Amino acid sequence: MTPTPTLRRWWPALALLLATLVCFALGGVLDHGALDLGVTLLCYLAIAQAWNVLAGFGGLVSLGAAAFVATGGYAAALLLVHTGLSWPLAVVAAPVAAMLLALLLSAALLRLRGDYFAIGTLAIAIALQALIRNWDWAGGASGVTLPVDSVPSGGNLFQLAVIVAALAVALTLHARHSDFGLRLAAIRDNEPAAAGLGVAVRRHQLAVLLPSSAITGLAGAVIAFQFVVISPDGVAGVAWSLNAVLMAVVGGTGTVLGPLLGVTVVYYGLTRQLQNEQTLSLVIEGVLLILIVRFAPQGVWPMLCRAARRLLGRRSPSDRPTADRGDEEETAPSGTEPLAVDLA
Amino acid sequence: MSLDVLAAGILAGGLYALIGLGISLVFGVLGLMNLAHGELVIGGAYLASLLVVEAGWDPLAALPLAMATMALIAYPLQRYLLTPLLRDSRSAPLVATFGLALLGQALFQAAFGTHPKALPASYADTGLSVLGVRVQTVYVIAFGLAVVLCAATHLVLTRTRAGSAVRAASADPGTAAVLGIDVNRVYAMTFAGAAALAAAGGVLTGVAQSFTPSSGLPLLLTGFAVMALAGIGSVGGVLAAGVALGVLQSVSVGLFGGGWRDVVVYLAFFLVLAIRPQGLFRKAHAA
Repeated sequence: MTPTPTLRRWWPALALLLATLVCFALGGVLDHGALDLGVTLLCYLAIAQAWNVLAGFGGLVSLGAAAFVATGGYAAALLLVHTGLSWPLAVVAAPVAAMLLALLLSAALLRLRGDYFAIGTLAIAIALQALIRNWDWAGGASGVTLPVDSVPSGGNLFQLAVIVAALAVALTLHARHSDFGLRLAAIRDNEPAAAGLGVAVRRHQLAVLLPSSAITGLAGAVIAFQFVVISPDGVAGVAWSLNAVLMAVVGGTGTVLGPLLGVTVVYYGLTRQLQNEQTLSLVIEGVLLILIVRFAPQGVWPMLCRAARRLLGRRSPSDRPTADRGDEEETAPSGTEPLAVDLA
Repeated sequence: MSLDVLAAGILAGGLYALIGLGISLVFGVLGLMNLAHGELVIGGAYLASLLVVEAGWDPLAALPLAMATMALIAYPLQRYLLTPLLRDSRSAPLVATFGLALLGQALFQAAFGTHPKALPASYADTGLSVLGVRVQTVYVIAFGLAVVLCAATHLVLTRTRAGSAVRAASADPGTAAVLGIDVNRVYAMTFAGAAALAAAGGVLTGVAQSFTPSSGLPLLLTGFAVMALAGIGSVGGVLAAGVALGVLQSVSVGLFGGGWRDVVVYLAFFLVLAIRPQGLFRKAHAA
């Protein structure tokens, strides 16, 4: 039963490839409503997963995902509207624009530590939203309408979303299973110690900020195509930042499958079911968030994994050495371990 | 650029300082980034609206009650929810306050609806002339109150036993606990105090402009901007930073038009944060 170490290392990538192919094929089968729901879910997954790589693996807790959604969305949309470029080229422009923004800001952003990084990214997102609102070429406060004919829709848009989400999951897998990911985790858990051991802190943080921004920007382009009309309040709204955090935290940050669970629970389970009950939806989201950080600070997915393991109760000691890295459970950056010193 | 614009900016800065003071206090003492501060401010405005709109009180008479109620609501939140989280991971308290912010918005929506509300008062729209400069009365009152509350906070922190306990718990919670200070209680009291200050800011914001359940976020960012400008742990700096921000807003409106106000302010905020994370007005490290 025990897979060989090589297989253990590669099965997540194989599973991802298989899932991507299946989803890709579904693009030709599903009906209009299902495709629309699928695109939304996949975009949220990509954004939550990109946030997860940045925060859960890189320790950079961002509140500015909306800035990159907006940059990608507007880059693709404006190229389409103003230059008449075909949509595949416009899609390519989205991650490039988002990465350029990240690169431009990185000198300032990566100086900030912990909570300062969080409010810095929040300020960027709001500033960008205000900027777009005043920018006539980008349609100002009322936004721009994309030419419906030149925008992919239905199955094509869904397949594009599948690729974007798959890229995001692939990035997470890389962060989890590579040496790069190990060094990243070392920076996250103890930056001075990691720096002391010779890990280039700034370069590693940049190497996680750039692809994370690029994927968020790509998702932004898909969202722009789906919305058709894009505006500062829609594509640059702070809701994108907040949802990324909410979904990743509910599922479990620093895990690969956590955000997938989080996106499904939060969007399909809550937002969609309660879309006519806005207030109730807000209440439940707020309470859920509080309950989760209070009682399952590592998220729902690691909790489920632990519960399943206890239930099955089958973990022979001989499994231990190789098992820990192939497993989904978090490497516990904090909490649970009795190492934490009590304050009072 | 006229003197009127400059005066309006300075006076509006008092209100910003009042909003930033609570954020700064909580971050300085507890190390907690409170994303629900905007909801505490708006909560104060809604609490006052119960007395002002329903019972016909003057907002200034409702202000102490709103402050006290907000403090009473905030105390158990810190004591039983946020303090235990401070020992866990880095992002848990941040996420929890975000959850509180969502919850607050939802409760405001459910209780008061989404229509904009304002607190009517005789001085809401009137102006007065000081040395030939026209200013809005409500902002003069807000500025005066901000100066008084900043001074009071400074005096409490530096001249009272409770203030010493707060500063001790802020500097080194472990040692403070060994010396017999109930750190958990100090934290909860600090949060309650910050909530009361937020409520005061909220009542005056409610008189000066209309508000909706989602008005908290821009106020939160204004508060953060004030804190970033002031640097943690300087009460005087908070007032100076509030005024600086108010003047910056007025000047940018005067130069570029109303729409660019937020762009200039948030970019300035980000630049200050990035260039001088310790703040512009920071002096000594006292809470």
